[in-house]
Amino acid sequence: MTNVQVTKSIDARGAYCPGPLMELVKGIKTAQVGDVVEVLSTDKGSAVDIPEWVNKMGHEIAYLENEGDEFKIAVRKVK
Amino acid sequence: MEQQAPSLAVILLSEDLEKLHAGALVGSVASMSGMTVNVFVTMNALKSFRKDSFENADFITGTIGKEMLAKKIPLFDSLLQEGKDMGELNIYGCALAMDIMDWQEEDMIDVFDGVIGVTKFLGMTQGATVITM
Repeated sequence: MTNVQVTKSIDARGAYCPGPLMELVKGIKTAQVGDVVEVLSTDKGSAVDIPEWVNKMGHEIAYLENEGDEFKIAVRKVK
Repeated sequence: MEQQAPSLAVILLSEDLEKLHAGALVGSVASMSGMTVNVFVTMNALKSFRKDSFENADFITGTIGKEMLAKKIPLFDSLLQEGKDMGELNIYGCALAMDIMDWQEEDMIDVFDGVIGVTKFLGMTQGATVITM
């Protein structure tokens, strides 16, 4: 994680599913290829749903961490 | 990557808030995941899309629907709009039910792409995965 340069961080803590995913999708849509968008979430579904979406859309997970009930997921825009 | 049908048809029949929300949720996420989504709103579901019903939260709710309203989470209108904004999601009112009730598209919340019959909807969703709520 220390080597990952985050371009934009989105605080979606407190939002219910699929709020954090929607915020990430918006962030990725407006990002440049190569940018890393990080999303902070307390929604348990995000840790599963976001990697699924990232894989399906052909982007990359830069890191996925959790501390207690909080998840921190960073996604690199590939295309 | 696993195979997935590129097109999804969501048919909303019920005025139950949970069913409206679940259908809108699946449709919006499918849209932002690259699928073409067409939503057909018919029968009692149309009532929930009326501006007056929506403004008064005039929905049928169960345990989870009541809590959704109490917690003021974004409802099906918001989910469907997000699906439209971030992918290809179209919403159509059922011509039959609209005619029976003498409702106009202007009476509905501003998410509709038109009022169509079943024949048109079947034509645009041929081969699609279908979800009925």
